[in-house]
Amino acid sequence: MRITLNGIPVDDQKRAQRFYTEVLGFETKHEIPLGPDVFWITLVTPGWHDDVELVLEPNDNPASQAFQAALFEQGIPMTAFEVDDVEAEHRRLEEAGVVFTKEPTEMGGTTLAVFSDTCGNLIQIFQPPS
Amino acid sequence: MLTEARFVALCRARARLAEPSAPSVAALADEAGLSTGRFIKQFAALHGATPYRYRVRARLARARALLARGDDVTEVCFALGYSSLGSFSDAFTRHVGRRPSAFRRARHTLVSVPGSLSAPGCFCLLGTAQAAISEKQRRDTGARLAP
Repeated sequence: MRITLNGIPVDDQKRAQRFYTEVLGFETKHEIPLGPDVFWITLVTPGWHDDVELVLEPNDNPASQAFQAALFEQGIPMTAFEVDDVEAEHRRLEEAGVVFTKEPTEMGGTTLAVFSDTCGNLIQIFQPPS
Repeated sequence: MLTEARFVALCRARARLAEPSAPSVAALADEAGLSTGRFIKQFAALHGATPYRYRVRARLARARALLARGDDVTEVCFALGYSSLGSFSDAFTRHVGRRPSAFRRARHTLVSVPGSLSAPGCFCLLGTAQAAISEKQRRDTGARLAP
């Protein structure tokens, strides 16, 4: 058993794909139309094409919508991405217009920050202890 | 960075915009303690759409869900408060990319649990996606091997 896919619900798959590739910097691995307004879209870390793929899930399920909205309103990130330098990413993303709900903060040796992905989720970035 | 109070206010505004009888943008800005212009800007940066656009999207998301479970186009149109079938159809087509009747036909066949889901959970789609990926790989390999 291996972890090869992880998913995140998004309120608009194509808009999310633009944000996650053009702003965050991930690369599209698969983009397959599956029906009206529904796609199978997966992203990978640049240079890590055989690593875990992030699925941008269509969030049409009311149960998932309620869960996503509740997490967001409580300030809880839907997922987390590791970065080399949280401060640098925070600067870069803020300059790109990304809204942070938590500035880079050191907690137990890990530095983390939280921002909105504009598609219904809060995302945490973290820099592990060196 | 957004303050916690501002974040909460913008989340509350988003929830209210999804209600059928949403207040005006100016009223929501007032509730959030912001000028209308600043409210629109901060709302869009956090939620990815202006308040007006978000309200349209929320309304059409509801339309998509109702059509996907097989509701009649005319009933959906008036249930959502559109004054005419033409304005509903135009707004739907502009945002979704196909007319409501075509969307209803296509999506209704994809729905696995009528009345509860307008699309299966994404990982339920994995099999269909994998078949398409395999087919593409087969075609690509065939093209490379072709003289």
